[in-house]
Amino acid sequence: MKKAMLLIITILLVVPTLQAQKTYDHFEVQVDGLGCPFCAYGLEKKFKEFKGIKKVAIDIETGDFSFNYPTEKALTLEAVKQQVVKAGYTPNEGKVTRYDGTVELLEPIKEAMATDAKLTVASTFVAGNCGMCEARIVKAATDIVGVANASWNKDTKILEVNYNKKTTNMDVVEKAVAKAGHDTKHHKASDGTYNELPGCCAYERVDY
Amino acid sequence: MALIMNYQDVALMSVLTIKRRKMKQIFLILISTILLLAGCAKKEAPKSWQLAKTIQIKGVNTIGMAITTEGLWLSDGDHNRLVLIDRDGKQQRTVDSLERPMHIASENDILYVPQYGNDEISVVDVNGSQVLPLKDSLDAPAGISVYQKEKAIADFYNHRILYTKDGTNYISFGKEGKAEGDFYYPTDVQITANEIWVADAYNNRIQVFDKNGMFLKIIGADQKMNAATGLFVSDNEVFITDYENDRVLVFDHEGVLKQKLSEGIEKPTEIIQDNGLLYISNFRNSELNIFAWEVTPEGPETHDHDHDHDHN
Repeated sequence: MKKAMLLIITILLVVPTLQAQKTYDHFEVQVDGLGCPFCAYGLEKKFKEFKGIKKVAIDIETGDFSFNYPTEKALTLEAVKQQVVKAGYTPNEGKVTRYDGTVELLEPIKEAMATDAKLTVASTFVAGNCGMCEARIVKAATDIVGVANASWNKDTKILEVNYNKKTTNMDVVEKAVAKAGHDTKHHKASDGTYNELPGCCAYERVDY
Repeated sequence: MALIMNYQDVALMSVLTIKRRKMKQIFLILISTILLLAGCAKKEAPKSWQLAKTIQIKGVNTIGMAITTEGLWLSDGDHNRLVLIDRDGKQQRTVDSLERPMHIASENDILYVPQYGNDEISVVDVNGSQVLPLKDSLDAPAGISVYQKEKAIADFYNHRILYTKDGTNYISFGKEGKAEGDFYYPTDVQITANEIWVADAYNNRIQVFDKNGMFLKIIGADQKMNAATGLFVSDNEVFITDYENDRVLVFDHEGVLKQKLSEGIEKPTEIIQDNGLLYISNFRNSELNIFAWEVTPEGPETHDHDHDHDHN
């Protein structure tokens, strides 16, 4: 009887310890196309297929999506990317912080700009509607080598860009933004790209 | 004597003439008063939907609403539950352990709950909860409507509506697309006596079908809506929440825009009418706006009212 009691106590002590040892990797993905709770819950629904997923968090306004996943399953960022696409959305940036502290990125890090680079500030009109548009426009601009940072205001529709004049210019920025699906002051997005935008991003087209 | 009599006659006639004139005057005054009153009645002050009250529903992110004799039920999508509130917004009780409940419906005090997360429709009454039997599989049911034996379900990821007349045998109509009769992520549906109305969310419009699933008309396509997420159809009006534009549009049944509601509205997801009041839920800030049919105030506040209209 005493032995049995000791065994039970040992199990009760050991099992929580083993459970506590279960470790998780932390995934963060910026998702394009989330506009409302219907989209956010939809993304969550598709990720339920990943058994063991924990702490799912979605910010509808920004498209920031994060979750924890058991380290032992070694989930790749590529698999996450494919699942986001399967759910009907577009992954922009992605990052996983493994349990041991190592960080992997979905996209290669943009070449760092020289710290002493002289920056020019310029602004232009870019058509768009929502937080998703903002994320897409800013990403298109900041992906250009020579652009230090960019911001877009959904109320004024103005894109402000800090860039190195020796490396790039505003025409390049506007072309990149138009390529991403948004009409700018001087460049129109193709109808095909525009039609591919999520419903919430279907802004009023610019007449040139 | 004759002369005196004559004077008397003249005097009598004069009195009678004066009386007749007075009578005429009184008669004219009466007629004028009646006409004036009738004129006033015709020029009754115009009325429209006006924000009467905003209630904070703390900790509830409402997607859908339904009314039973117990009160107003809210589906709290973020917290996987239904919340019953009274007329003052006080929380009475909850139904928990749901998976993303969306646009709910009620009929005879039974709640019908589409669960986006597990593709089931739950039927909730005082005895508990059971799953609505369906032969077809759903992919993220976003809305349901119940009208006597009839039921209609907005099947979000399948871009279609399932509808049954007898409560058992379902037809399916719609497919992904932008043409008439196509859907692009339908989120809400309502059955009325002769039609089925659909919030075709990401086509930014309302579509109307007959009970065989045949397309009848489109409403609101010219209003530049951005995610038409929640729908309510009354005897005379059609209400639609325009989620990203922070407003609710009011149409007549023919699709004529009658009013735009924006005061207090922020990321609206659902609208419902009860006892002459409109209840409009804000998703993100957990507010419930109550609109009443009142005299339209004069001045700049009237900017969002396009046309005066009858209201029953």
